[in-house]
Amino acid sequence: MMSFYDSHLVLFQATFTGLILALSIQVPLRMGVFSFAGAGSYGIGAYLAAILVIKQDASAFVAIGAAMLATAVIGLLLGLLIFKLNGLYLAMATVAFDLIIGVIAINGGKTTGGSTGLYGVITDFTMSQLFTITLIALVLVALSEVGRTGRRVDAVRDDPELASSMGISLRRYRLTAFVVSGALGGLAGSMNVLVRSAIGPLDIGFGLIVLGLTMIVVGGSRSWKGAVIGAVIFTWLPDVLTAIGAWQELVYGIVVALAAVFLPRGIYGVLVDLNKGLQRRSRERHDPPPAAAEEAAGDVDPTTGDVRELALNEEAVP
Amino acid sequence: MQDLLSVVTLGSIYLLFALGMSLTWGTIDILNFGHGAIFMFSSFTAYLVLQQTELGLPLIMLIGLIVGALMSLLIQVLAFEQIIKRAKDKRAAEMQILIGGIGVAIIPLAIAQHYTKSNPFGFSKSTFKVNTWTMGDLRITNIAALSIVVAVVLWVSAAVWLRRSRQGLALRSIGVDAETAALMGIDRRKMALATMAVAGGMAGLSGVLFTFGLGAITPESGDTLLVKAFACIILGGVGSMRGVAFGAFFLAAAETVVLTQTSGSWVEAVSFGLIFLVLLVRPSGVFGRAEVRRT
Repeated sequence: MMSFYDSHLVLFQATFTGLILALSIQVPLRMGVFSFAGAGSYGIGAYLAAILVIKQDASAFVAIGAAMLATAVIGLLLGLLIFKLNGLYLAMATVAFDLIIGVIAINGGKTTGGSTGLYGVITDFTMSQLFTITLIALVLVALSEVGRTGRRVDAVRDDPELASSMGISLRRYRLTAFVVSGALGGLAGSMNVLVRSAIGPLDIGFGLIVLGLTMIVVGGSRSWKGAVIGAVIFTWLPDVLTAIGAWQELVYGIVVALAAVFLPRGIYGVLVDLNKGLQRRSRERHDPPPAAAEEAAGDVDPTTGDVRELALNEEAVP
Repeated sequence: MQDLLSVVTLGSIYLLFALGMSLTWGTIDILNFGHGAIFMFSSFTAYLVLQQTELGLPLIMLIGLIVGALMSLLIQVLAFEQIIKRAKDKRAAEMQILIGGIGVAIIPLAIAQHYTKSNPFGFSKSTFKVNTWTMGDLRITNIAALSIVVAVVLWVSAAVWLRRSRQGLALRSIGVDAETAALMGIDRRKMALATMAVAGGMAGLSGVLFTFGLGAITPESGDTLLVKAFACIILGGVGSMRGVAFGAFFLAAAETVVLTQTSGSWVEAVSFGLIFLVLLVRPSGVFGRAEVRRT
């Protein structure tokens, strides 16, 4: 067991930083803000932490803290700039933001190390610290999914007009999404550079956006559990796939494409549906009348394709 | 003058690529992120065929065209139609199509990377030879001239077809209001398939011409071009044929200026910066009309 842990240490580290990266894209998505700025913040955070450690001899926590603060502020500024954009336009503006960070990194001269990047970022950052910080971030994100905050976030995403008529400030929630996404992205980037000791422009390109996005799309975009599932799958899948040899890239691609097309709510969504189905079936077997009554009262969540959903949502009528 | 000529050449490649994307996005609401993969893989298929047998330019272009159109159809039927069928509403469908396109694009990229080991590939085995013509001070390669002609001809015919023909009207009406268009007896599925095929064919053709012009391309070059095409479309205004041409040549000009005036590799930042700027200042683009804009 211990030897397995040691030989796969890199993968464990990548799982944690990948999870935070996935959360940095998932949090705004859950608030209905289609922003990929988390990947750009990841780049800023990674470079900033690397520069602080190499040039200023900063400690690990100072570097992480400074990176998070900077990316949160940048997230806020970015949000103020573009929070009026919507949908695809917002998505592409943030993709452009991410890619600009990469170009700046290449052209930064000595400060960013040009196309080779920065290396030799060595601190006393340990695995248990990495684990603890990841856990704290995960718990904080999970808390935003339950109770009042959770319901408000759902309302802001699913029905912005309703939310604002209930006195929820859309502007404030959307800006929060940018700030949290920035801070999480900066956290992921800075922790990643501290455990891997190097960062280059190739690490923060278009591929990073695709990685973060595939994690939450395949895992499930509505819950932190989905991000965990996705981060575990896409960090470990390449390692598992080395068993099948040369075609691993192709299998990887097929998995992502199938999930993107057929599982819009991800693996976590499928698990939730399965669980609901099982509960309903066991309820009907034990005690049929209440289930029927509940259904008659319209309390059951309409599933996709259900007539009731069509009735609720006229646009869905084909 | 020579710079102007290279702007026009580069711009016509951008135009050829962005034209298909603009066509599908502006009419049937599909922003196809697999477009870059189609571009690359059509060229890659031509390269594979060339490893087996020698071919001239027309046949290679035909291969690019057909492979591009077929891939585009395949993506539409296997991915986008399924997504639209399952999606809750239009907004969700748009997002899911974006993500699905990114997912689908990984497959051709993986195949090409596997065969080429991510090295650049080119058409060194074709019987067609790239020549340079000199007119006074100007030098132009035959392939550059061909790219310009093909881009302009396709752009003009697409614009005229969209504006004058009955089918063009039908397609535009889908873009304005898909449901009403369906009520008027327009077969949305058939129109969407045709549009996707045309767009894919253009992507394949631009892939082949681009590879000839540059000598060789890497499997990853589709991704960069995708963002550039997006910049062209946004700059001109979504759904506007004049706009996409303006965007393509403007981007080419801006990139050439940056390339010649600055050191380093800031060129890549031009398109990203443009996207940002246009979205902030005028989200509907230079030629976009407010009522056509869909968010």
